[in-house]
Amino acid sequence: MAAAVYLVLLLLAAIFAPLVATHDPAELAVGKPFSGPAAAHWLGTDDLGRDLWSRLVYGARVSMKTGLQIIVLALAASVPVGLFSGYRGGKVDNVIMRIMDALSSVPALVLALAIVGVLGPGLTNASIAIAIAVTPGFVRFVRGQTLAVRQETFVEASHSLGTRERTILRKRILPNVASPLIVTVALASGAVLIAESGLSLLGLGSQPPESSWGSMLQRGYQVILTHPWQVIVPGTALALTVLAFNLLGDGLRDALGLGVPKAVGLRGRLGLTTVAPRPDLAPEAPATDGPAPLLTVSGLTVEFVTEAGPVTVVDDVGFSVAPGEVLGIVGESGSGKSVTSLSIMRLIPSPPGRIVRGSVVFDGRDLLTLPFAEMRKVRGNDISMVFQDPMTSLNPAYTVGNLLGEAVRLHQDVNRAGARARALELLELVGIPDPKRRLDDYPHQLSGGMRQRVLIAMALSSRPRLLIADEPTTALDVTVQAQILDLLRSLQAEFGMAIIFVTHDLGVVADLCDRVLVMYAGQVVEQASVTDLFERPRHPYTQGLLRAMPQVAGRSERLVAIRGTVPPPTALPAGCRFHPRCDHATDACRAEPVELLVRGDRPVRCVLSEELVP
Amino acid sequence: MLGMIIRRLVALVPVLLLVSFGVFMLSTLVPGDAAVTLAGGDSATIERIEEVREQLGLDDPLLEQYLRWLGDAVRLDFGTSLYGGSLSVWDEISARIPVTFGLALLALLIGVVVGVPVGIAAAMRPGGILDRLCLVTTSIGIAVPNFFVAMLLITVFAVNLGWLPALGFTRFTDDPLEWLRTMILPATSLALFPAAALARQVRAALIDVLQSNYVRTAWASGGSPVRVVGKHALKNAGIPAVTVLGLQLTALIGGAVIIEQLFSIPGLGSYMLRALSQSDLPVIQGVTITFVVMHVLLNLLVDISYGFLNPKVRVS
Repeated sequence: MAAAVYLVLLLLAAIFAPLVATHDPAELAVGKPFSGPAAAHWLGTDDLGRDLWSRLVYGARVSMKTGLQIIVLALAASVPVGLFSGYRGGKVDNVIMRIMDALSSVPALVLALAIVGVLGPGLTNASIAIAIAVTPGFVRFVRGQTLAVRQETFVEASHSLGTRERTILRKRILPNVASPLIVTVALASGAVLIAESGLSLLGLGSQPPESSWGSMLQRGYQVILTHPWQVIVPGTALALTVLAFNLLGDGLRDALGLGVPKAVGLRGRLGLTTVAPRPDLAPEAPATDGPAPLLTVSGLTVEFVTEAGPVTVVDDVGFSVAPGEVLGIVGESGSGKSVTSLSIMRLIPSPPGRIVRGSVVFDGRDLLTLPFAEMRKVRGNDISMVFQDPMTSLNPAYTVGNLLGEAVRLHQDVNRAGARARALELLELVGIPDPKRRLDDYPHQLSGGMRQRVLIAMALSSRPRLLIADEPTTALDVTVQAQILDLLRSLQAEFGMAIIFVTHDLGVVADLCDRVLVMYAGQVVEQASVTDLFERPRHPYTQGLLRAMPQVAGRSERLVAIRGTVPPPTALPAGCRFHPRCDHATDACRAEPVELLVRGDRPVRCVLSEELVP
Repeated sequence: MLGMIIRRLVALVPVLLLVSFGVFMLSTLVPGDAAVTLAGGDSATIERIEEVREQLGLDDPLLEQYLRWLGDAVRLDFGTSLYGGSLSVWDEISARIPVTFGLALLALLIGVVVGVPVGIAAAMRPGGILDRLCLVTTSIGIAVPNFFVAMLLITVFAVNLGWLPALGFTRFTDDPLEWLRTMILPATSLALFPAAALARQVRAALIDVLQSNYVRTAWASGGSPVRVVGKHALKNAGIPAVTVLGLQLTALIGGAVIIEQLFSIPGLGSYMLRALSQSDLPVIQGVTITFVVMHVLLNLLVDISYGFLNPKVRVS
């Protein structure tokens, strides 16, 4: 904004230079030579006693006019060529691009110098030279945009309607190329201005009596040892103007929505979710009574801070896991199950996420109050995690042996050789064939299933007491899914660790879990043992999930998908969050939010749960 | 890997042919009768004009001229300067390449030493105080032309403080320390732009990588911030940064022209400028071709190093 105002003022000053200047810029000895800034001469005078302010204003006139000429010249050459090249494609495009390659393989300044060198010095020749030097960049840009726009449907439609090519280019493609081009031009303007000043500074651009900022710099440089002010004035003007053009370009790009969206400013720590209790929520007292489970999550509430304000994505979630128990968390995408599982080890990035309420008590300690150094000792050691996407969860820059060895050495006091031996054992444990050779492979050399095995091996490196598996089979194909599930089951039997298994697949739950937590739209809607859940689902959402399951519905019945989709956390319905998709919804369901209460034999979030039991 | 290098080298041939043709054709751009203009314009004697015409073979058919010129150029023979001197153009160029290269490398070194830590610091907390400070300083670093930076540095460090010389040059092979003393100001003025560009690149790449799944895996394994950023994030963020680095080096070599002139450094740039003021065509052509070849070779080097850093390209 400030940049635009500055540029407008500068432009006005350049146009109305005679009104803005206090003196004739060429008049000699209007003041004493080299006098400093004063009331009579705002910026002082130069070596010949000429008024610097007036010279600066008239210099702006020359610099801006030249800059404009160069841009117009370059656009006139590059827009038609770029449009043509991108639209036509094929051989023509190839030849044009090779020529542009050749042009841009000469450094821009050198190219401009060589051209000025043969044409002779002078502002016009310098302008031509700079225009030629910036043309390849413009051509490439216009061509790229054209290529992208050409493939869009509205252009193809005009084509099939038989619209003439020139009309398509002018009416359809050019307007779409124009707005990103404006940004590029604004950003190039600064560079053009610098180039012109540079050539003038070398005495190859503007010649006396016409004087641009560059030639003021040239004069000033000759007396820099005694009168540095003479270069500071034009140099600062030039730098400010270039800065203004750059900021204008950035601003335009943002305004046109072409840039990267800005992250919401929020304080946070790298690698550890912020815990910031919200004063309007009653604090949750950590559960301490009863037989000590391994993990107790209570009242967990997680917000994401967005530009529109905070959005609650996990709302008052509580559950516990006993040693050696396998707990399933199920729900559709967007139910908050992944965020819940990531919150346990505080792996939600802050910003945008933060935990605003609740406690996560593991082995008697609330993980949400631990300092980073303590949290690190828990991660990968007491609690480990296996993620959904094995293709992107392994660092591509390191070998399997390196990554596994690191996981070992983070929590165990072994040397490099010991870690490698342990890494080999771990690979054998997770059933990777030829483990010795695999140690020196990079992740990209392994299949998805193999990578997930490596990730499981990393997670098991310190014999954790709790393994959190966040949809570990979703990204894999069916046969591999079964293998990974078998592996997890046998490892659980071998080591007796507890597992939290996050999935949207009830079949997997039936296979693997002891107990199940059903989540919907950020809330727990039902909690039950696997047998109870499958035999007598109480929440209509659970019932819907079961009806959509081929194993349960059987061959004779039709599979019924739940109509509609999970509402986004920004647009939750009033009352029961499930009611718009529920076949049994009543006015009561629409009026009031429903609490998670023990109804019958288990906690359920539905007022009709007792009537609906099948 | 080797196959890629060979393919790239082959692809360079048409580009270099085009450039050489363009550079050769510069002679036809000379206004009026080239021989007259090149010999010094109206003041030139007839003998001098004929000498120039003879030396450049300006009366032969254009294609013949080009092929002869190209044939010489691939053997690094760009002829001799129109303004005498016993040295051939190539001898002069080869003596000056290390000067320009040294300046550019020192500038790049300063750019890396300043730019990379700034980029890392800014990426640690996007939107934080350091990040905003980085945004402002890099905006300025990108906007201020290097020749103005040079003038400011001369004013402060050479004139006011008197710590470093404003002009002059010592060969590295003669006295490395003195070379450094004379090179600090020019290199610093050249370094501002690559430092700012590099800081922005590192910042953007690092922010991107820190959101990746494998970094989450590293956190989940119990890695410390130093380990996760230093080992897992930086190596991956560094791969695109190397590309920027290479592009900056090529830009520095071309951009050094004005700086060499301001500080009276006898590099390629000042050679070219001297030739320009005399319309010394063989020198202009020779230096331009040299710049181009350095430019494309450096780009090739960048691509190779990219492949070397990225295991997906290296191992397959």
